[in-house]
Amino acid sequence: MNHQSTDNEHIRNVFTRRAFLGRAAKSALQLTLTGQLLLSKKALAGAYAGQSLNLVLIQPHKISGEVLSKSFAEQTGAKLNVTIVPYDVIEAQATLDVQSGANQFDVVEYWYASIGSLVENNVLQDVTDLITKDEATIKTSDYIRSIYDPYTLYKGKRWGLPYDGDSHVLFYNTTLLDKHKVNAPTTWDEYLVAAKTITEAEKQNGVYGAIVMGAAIPVIIGSTFANRLAGFGGEFLKADGTPNLESDAAFKAAKALLDVAPYALPTPVETAFEQAVPSFLDGKGAFVECWTDLGVYAQDAQKSKIIDQWDVVQLPVEKKGDQPRASLNAGFGLGLSTATKKKELAWEFVKWATGYQTALELLTTSNSGIDPTRITTLNAAEYKRFAPKVQRAANAALHGAVSWPTIPESPKMMRSLSEKLNRMLADRQSPELAIRQINSDWVQILQG
Amino acid sequence: MSSRDGALAAAYESAARAQRSKWWQAHWAEAASPLVRAALLIAILSVVLLPIVYLLALSLKTPDQVLEGLFLPTKPTLRNWINIFQNVPLALYIGNSVVAAISGSLITLVITIPAVYAFSRIKIGRFLPGLILGSYMAPPMVPLIPLFFLAKWSGLIHTLPGLIICYGLLNIPVALWLLTGFIERIPEEIEEAAAIDGASVLRTLCQIVFPLMLPGVVSTGLICVILNYNEFLFAFFFTSNTTRTLPIGIALFQGERLVDFGQMAVASLIGVLPIYLTAIFAQKWLVRGLTTGAGR
Amino acid sequence: MNRSAPAGPCVRCWHIRDAPECIPAGPFGTAIFIHLKSMNSLAKASRKSAPHSVSPNRRRVGLLLLLPLIFAVLFSAAYPAAYLALTSISKSTMGKPFISWVGLNNFVSALQGDFAWSLMRTALFAIPTSLVQLILGVAIAVLLNSKMRFRSLGRTLLLLPLMSPPVMVGIAWKVMLHPTGGFVSRTLAQFAWLHTPSSFLGEMPWAILSIAAADTWQWTPFIVILVYATLQTLPAEFEEAARIDGAGYPRILFAVQLPLLAPALIAIYLLKLILSFKTFDLVYVLTSGGPGVETSLSSYKIWQTLFQDFNLGMASAQTLLLCLIVTLITLPVTWWHRRIQRTASL
Repeated sequence: MNHQSTDNEHIRNVFTRRAFLGRAAKSALQLTLTGQLLLSKKALAGAYAGQSLNLVLIQPHKISGEVLSKSFAEQTGAKLNVTIVPYDVIEAQATLDVQSGANQFDVVEYWYASIGSLVENNVLQDVTDLITKDEATIKTSDYIRSIYDPYTLYKGKRWGLPYDGDSHVLFYNTTLLDKHKVNAPTTWDEYLVAAKTITEAEKQNGVYGAIVMGAAIPVIIGSTFANRLAGFGGEFLKADGTPNLESDAAFKAAKALLDVAPYALPTPVETAFEQAVPSFLDGKGAFVECWTDLGVYAQDAQKSKIIDQWDVVQLPVEKKGDQPRASLNAGFGLGLSTATKKKELAWEFVKWATGYQTALELLTTSNSGIDPTRITTLNAAEYKRFAPKVQRAANAALHGAVSWPTIPESPKMMRSLSEKLNRMLADRQSPELAIRQINSDWVQILQG
Repeated sequence: MSSRDGALAAAYESAARAQRSKWWQAHWAEAASPLVRAALLIAILSVVLLPIVYLLALSLKTPDQVLEGLFLPTKPTLRNWINIFQNVPLALYIGNSVVAAISGSLITLVITIPAVYAFSRIKIGRFLPGLILGSYMAPPMVPLIPLFFLAKWSGLIHTLPGLIICYGLLNIPVALWLLTGFIERIPEEIEEAAAIDGASVLRTLCQIVFPLMLPGVVSTGLICVILNYNEFLFAFFFTSNTTRTLPIGIALFQGERLVDFGQMAVASLIGVLPIYLTAIFAQKWLVRGLTTGAGR
Repeated sequence: MNRSAPAGPCVRCWHIRDAPECIPAGPFGTAIFIHLKSMNSLAKASRKSAPHSVSPNRRRVGLLLLLPLIFAVLFSAAYPAAYLALTSISKSTMGKPFISWVGLNNFVSALQGDFAWSLMRTALFAIPTSLVQLILGVAIAVLLNSKMRFRSLGRTLLLLPLMSPPVMVGIAWKVMLHPTGGFVSRTLAQFAWLHTPSSFLGEMPWAILSIAAADTWQWTPFIVILVYATLQTLPAEFEEAARIDGAGYPRILFAVQLPLLAPALIAIYLLKLILSFKTFDLVYVLTSGGPGVETSLSSYKIWQTLFQDFNLGMASAQTLLLCLIVTLITLPVTWWHRRIQRTASL
């Protein structure tokens, strides 16, 4: 008999039991705090037991899908069938599903910038009334203000609930910064100077100051631009929906992007996250703007060479003392497909999945890919314990954010932006010229 | 024998004699041949195999070694190979891919071979091949949509048979074009002889023409299998979860925030294996032999 | 006459016969015979005896043989073509087809934007790369066809690039070509040819050349398989005849084999050309159409229009425009193919 193994098993059991008790106690505490169950009495009573619900999620959220399946089954007895798709085809998948009558999906995860397009294409259902009806459970005031409207509002109505916050933060390599006596930058000028210093010193070793993602894909270079736009106080669209790029902020943002390019890991024009992330984890770059998941990867021995040698700050701003703003580069919401035949169960699920307890569980699960959307989850003690550095940086969302356009023309507009900014980097064109071209393109697109 | 013919014959004979005398000139290539050719082949193979060997090297790297700028891993590991079947239902994807690719190709051949015979020998409907090839010029993105509806109405959406039929239909232009070339190479005298003997159209097709076309049929079939195996667009929209194929599986690695190149490399290498074995098996049918002397 | 040696065509009637009155042209004359044939001067003389008139019975059987194809093509070509045509003159989104009829507006918008440029880019990419692949493919197929060591090993290994999933091909090349993280750049730097990290995918013309290189690597085996199979179907007697007569391999190749292969080669080139016009995977993985839009080939643009903008009407119009361009470009090739075919068949 293997003494060792039973000991280990025993220890494992203790931890599991402890964990379970801990969780139960935690839920009880939270229930007391929020004072409200996430699921209706009907659901808890097992009315949906044995039924199945079809959900489509993006690949980076695969782990969250597994967590949701397990929990939902435990709490309601209903089976969640999760289909995982690459993030750049999820909208096409959902649209075709509805339009062809295949009706495979009940709940759809959507990128918030595509909300206009999805609504116009008749993919998402209007849930404004449902939200009002279930306000007590949902607590819409708990959603981070700068996230709630962009992620759910279109043409005055609501079409889903926020699921994943997803803003960019600035990661930096503490070893490199200490070596060159550079402080973590708070303004984009400081960032440029820091990047330049480190690059000039370390170029021979293949190490660079900044890693800048500038590949000609909207979610890549669009995010990089949006990060700077946020710092300079700009917006993509004016309140009346007309393009706002002919503004000081946009010019400065484009210029900041162009200025850092010579000091960035070669070459920004072709860098997307599949090169940027491994390079940062290899210690080849001092700065990178990325989603908060990077913090988790950075501590993984299999993936990272910079364990405990990194930290994260909010995105730089224009001048010292300005309030950092978040830039919402890839948030997701959960909505009901217009083709679903299980509206009630689907809505139960959406409410539950975006509610406090579930959100917190997802936030504190490694590699779930989920970021906070609620004020309470962002400030929750467990989240602070789980990812202290990241939590501090993610706070910026509370004070305002730049969101991408959510109108149906958004993809075309952002593509024009990414192509022209990419060209600006490749040909070292003037930022003013590039911005002006983008703006006039947008005017044309919006005129139809 | 007319004088013209005689003159021609004489001219050819003298040219041949002159040629013989320049034996070395003609044969320099042949003399050095085997060695030169082997060297050439090895050079070509190294270029061909470089990315594949690089894939192999990638598969032995942990994520932090991928962008080190080196060819070989500094610390090779078998972790990716060991974990691959646990992390991804690779066997399922490959199985689906193999079945869909081979079945689709067979359907294409079954539809196209008789048609090619009809076009070439019975000479009816000769306007069709041009039109069909024309339809092949369109990138498959937009045609995907009406075919998606069709699959949904027939209940075949998200099933493997649906994908197989789709592949069977999609490659018809390719097969038609290639097989036409191969059938036109076969002299018609052979079939005329058979017709005199009283063979029916079907017998001629099956017992005479088809065997003569075999290298063409095999190579066309192999091309179709390869095209099906690596096809992404239709595979993605026409399948779901359990019916997914290999290219989708690999693309799902790509959809991650932190792309695991090592695992992708393993999945690709293992994925290539079945098709590679099919090709080796088919090679035997590509060798020469059946047409020699058949016309006499 | 030496009857035991393989004989060529008869100089009298230019048919391959063994009739007693025939005078075989002599082994080497065969090669010249083929030259002349392909130059069309003997085409009329060698016109086959009138084909037996297609009897009604044969027609019926023929129709039966064609039936599966017609049926298949109705679904896989005719129906999508109709859909394509109808949506191209309408305002349609993927979610809501046929919102309204807009005539030729989609075509006009497509041509006014970058799409017209992409058509040119695609043509400038497809035509040369297919040609290079054809030449390389023929050379390699001929090499493999000759007696040499490692022949069967070579034949099987050569297929690997074609069999690799395109996504993986793209990723492998992408990682290899990375300025700092890929070994190509590093290796070049060591030879001090380039002192800065070289960006193969971020600068023109390297970006399009890299795509062309990856495409050539992947698709040359396609040509090799087909040319090799065609070589297998060449009647052996011509080669043997020329060889016995003392012709060396290069001469056999150019005088005997290539003329015989000509129609097949043109057909293969045509097919590869059409495939090249549809290149999508490599653009998607390697450059995402960048820098700017320099490597946005037409297929990639259509994908963007359909799957990002969801503009079905526009995507259909773009698809039809691409088909038009491909037809125009391949028309001369098709015509030439038909000419050569008529004259070179024996």
